[in-house]
Amino acid sequence: MEAGTRQAGAELAAALPHGPRGPLRALDDRAMEFAAQDAELRAALFRFVDVVPACRSLDDLARHLTGFLDDVEQPPPSIAVAMRMGDSRAGRAALGAAAAAGVRRMAHRFIVGETPRAAHGVLRGLWEQGVASSVDLLGEATVTAAEADRYAARCAAALDDLAELYAPLPPRPLLERDAAGPTPRVNLSVKVSALTPLLRPDAPELGTRDAAVRLRGLLRRARELGAHLHIDMESFDSREAVSALVLELLGEPEFRDGPSAGVVLQAYLRESPELLEQILAWTTSVERSTPLTVRLVKGAYWDHEVVEARQHGWTPPVFEVKAQSDRNFEALTGALLEARPRLRIAIASHNLRSVAHAIAINRALGGAPQDVEFQVLRGLGDDLQRALAGTGHRVRTYCPVGDLVAGMAYLVRRLLENTSNESFLAEQAAGVPLDELLAAP
Amino acid sequence: MTLPPFRNEPVLELRRAPQRQLLLDALGALERELPLRVPVWIGDERREGEELRSTDPGEPERAVALAAQAGDADVERAVALARAAAPPWAATPAGERAAALLRTAALLRERRARLAALAVRECAKPWAEADADVCEAIDFVEYYARGALALEQTPPELLQVPGERNALAYRARGVVAVIAPWNFPLAIPLGMTCAALATGNAVVLKPAEQAPGCALELVRALREGGVPGEVIALLPGAGEAGAALVRHRDGATVAFTGSVAVGLEILAAAAAVPKGGAHLKRVVAELGGKNCVIVDADADLDDAVPGIVRSAFDYAGQKCSAASRVLVHEAVADALLERLAGAVDVLVVGQADTFGTAVPPVIERAAQERVARYAQLASSTGRVPTSAGPVPADGWFCAPVVACDLPADSPVLHEEIFGPLLAVERVTGVDAACDRVDELSYALTGGLYCRNPHTVERVVRRSPVGNLYVNRPVTGAMVGRQPFGGNRLSGTGSKAGGPDYLLHFVEPQVVTENTIRHGLVI
Repeated sequence: MEAGTRQAGAELAAALPHGPRGPLRALDDRAMEFAAQDAELRAALFRFVDVVPACRSLDDLARHLTGFLDDVEQPPPSIAVAMRMGDSRAGRAALGAAAAAGVRRMAHRFIVGETPRAAHGVLRGLWEQGVASSVDLLGEATVTAAEADRYAARCAAALDDLAELYAPLPPRPLLERDAAGPTPRVNLSVKVSALTPLLRPDAPELGTRDAAVRLRGLLRRARELGAHLHIDMESFDSREAVSALVLELLGEPEFRDGPSAGVVLQAYLRESPELLEQILAWTTSVERSTPLTVRLVKGAYWDHEVVEARQHGWTPPVFEVKAQSDRNFEALTGALLEARPRLRIAIASHNLRSVAHAIAINRALGGAPQDVEFQVLRGLGDDLQRALAGTGHRVRTYCPVGDLVAGMAYLVRRLLENTSNESFLAEQAAGVPLDELLAAP
Repeated sequence: MTLPPFRNEPVLELRRAPQRQLLLDALGALERELPLRVPVWIGDERREGEELRSTDPGEPERAVALAAQAGDADVERAVALARAAAPPWAATPAGERAAALLRTAALLRERRARLAALAVRECAKPWAEADADVCEAIDFVEYYARGALALEQTPPELLQVPGERNALAYRARGVVAVIAPWNFPLAIPLGMTCAALATGNAVVLKPAEQAPGCALELVRALREGGVPGEVIALLPGAGEAGAALVRHRDGATVAFTGSVAVGLEILAAAAAVPKGGAHLKRVVAELGGKNCVIVDADADLDDAVPGIVRSAFDYAGQKCSAASRVLVHEAVADALLERLAGAVDVLVVGQADTFGTAVPPVIERAAQERVARYAQLASSTGRVPTSAGPVPADGWFCAPVVACDLPADSPVLHEEIFGPLLAVERVTGVDAACDRVDELSYALTGGLYCRNPHTVERVVRRSPVGNLYVNRPVTGAMVGRQPFGGNRLSGTGSKAGGPDYLLHFVEPQVVTENTIRHGLVI
């Protein structure tokens, strides 16, 4: 398997775009350069990005920026300039405008449009390059029933809109069929935390019951349109509610013949192998005409999980050493690919090694390229996306849609993830040799 | 004796189903024992009775504990025994006292599910809150045991010059009257009691009349852990027993947590030295609050809304730390109010023993009526954007309410309601909000949602409160992490669970010994 992984990795590496363009180009270069320099600066930058949508004027923006930068003990010269600008009203207006423009630029690299319609150009372009999408509607947190209803309505409207967009596009056989049958073009990712204000860690059935009403509506719409609905996994606090909800609803007779739907397995969870067992047991207990898709991810809430556990004196539910997550990811990849055709598998990682390993296993098991899907994030996985599409693999890009206010939490999380020293993209950008990048975890 | 460093007792991980089941099983087991019988328990003497009855606030016909009611004679006997037993207990090395307390903590840990279940039944604390109450009780024991040991082993150093030896030591004060509330029926009585015991005092505990069952479990654990019965008397009873205890000639300290009205009475009564009395009584008081949360224009409402809802409505707002006013910047006031009202409308009002319940019944009929009066006042003089849906008929339930547009002098804005009612006011900015906070005579907790570090600093400087929370809920103080207590009329400035709390239970003594004999330093 190691040889196969190295070979697949080398193929992908050769297909990565060359030249000065690295994956971290996606981030604002100047900002990232600062952020890499020092932790205080990084904190100031993130706190600033976080508050941008709540600022009422350029003056207010500049005051926040200088407020955060005050905490930086040894500011680089350009920061000192910013601080001096903060001393006058005119200076603050200029500084605020520059900073706001910078944040907007960053946001636009991760977020494909304010609305699904505004994202048409990007989504169509991807399809033409042989890349499918999963659209995710960003939004503020759902704390009221009205907000949950609005989110469900936005999702339903997005399904309609995407169906209209994708219908006339040219065929892409690699993206539209696998060994288990046809796969939908329209693919929407939804969040249970946005479908109900009642997710309570100690009462999962409360959130499940409330979200079920709205999710059933979306499943019906997806079935009518022949679309795929993917239910995202979020923090561990909601894990039980989300699993119970999805498996319960998809097991209902009404949804036996569709729509195509999917769940997420987070490899950083210590209990993920047991969760996979549950999913597998479920597939034998229900009759469905289309297999459930399982998207395998590392997991995006690592810091949150560890901090929450530490504050409460609990053992974190996640592996604390990155290599453990990576090894588990590979073990789960094997188990999942062997579980076909009961399941469809999507491998969502920007880690060249993890992706190459999945390719190698698929080949070893005699799978065709379309029998395993790879998923990347818009803005961060662009290079990998091109390499995968260019080498004949099936790739789907996760495309967030939403306005700046809604997008900021997503953006901050992406920024945090990818400026950490352990991030694969950071290592790749730092010029770590291919052999090391492809080494077994 | 050295102990491992203090760490907070972890709450149960209730997001995992087996941990929830553990609690439900414990409740089933406890119910077979109810009602508990709580005696007046002084030394070896237990006098049972049924004069006092605690009931389940969610099902008032269900008796949780039947207790004897302490009278003047009981107070007399309890104080006399405590007074006699205090000197030997004070002479016991702090390490031995600490060991007894740590054994108590271990027993509480073993019984944690049962204790939480009892708090659910007797005080209608929802599970997560009940479990946190048990953990805080354990924390207090562990924290004060260590603190008392440190006080004995490493007292502050004094200046030394040749020919004299100076030493500062802290001595127990004698008999401590502990008068406890029902809203943290385990943590607060045990915290005050253990602070006194750890430092070598003898305790006479008068628990809240609504929660004698919880107090009995605490005293049992203390005795089984090795605290001599003579230094921990249990006097279940009503207000009169507490008043007699406060006035008693031989009490040295009164530790009280409760309302401002009773607190002021206690302070006045304690100030009078009875004939033959030998103490200037010290009162450690944690009183009420009218806690405000300030929301600036740059606040993240995604955080602020859930944080405020938790602060104001968890345990039906029956915490002295609970938020009862929100002062919001006019730029975000409409958005906040709409989301807050919507978030309150989906809160589950229900029985404390049901996971997911956010707003359990309030403690008793009088509380329900009081909350209803304020809610009525709010809707007749202001606006109530919440829908106040139906609540269960049996039990002392109150619908959670958000009120706004109230007149500036409304009692809803100035009096402690101690229930699920939150008032929202629009302000021109954080400075105007600080002015309003400053007008209050209460100063317990405060909250601020704001992302500008300069503004945060300014509000910190202007806040009179004992505990200020920035960008998080204002409840849930943890022992050792957020020493808790209010200023102004909210308390005597003592900080429960903090490094200087024990100093209220001791008196310093300085011994200076001349070491010169015949002109030589020996």
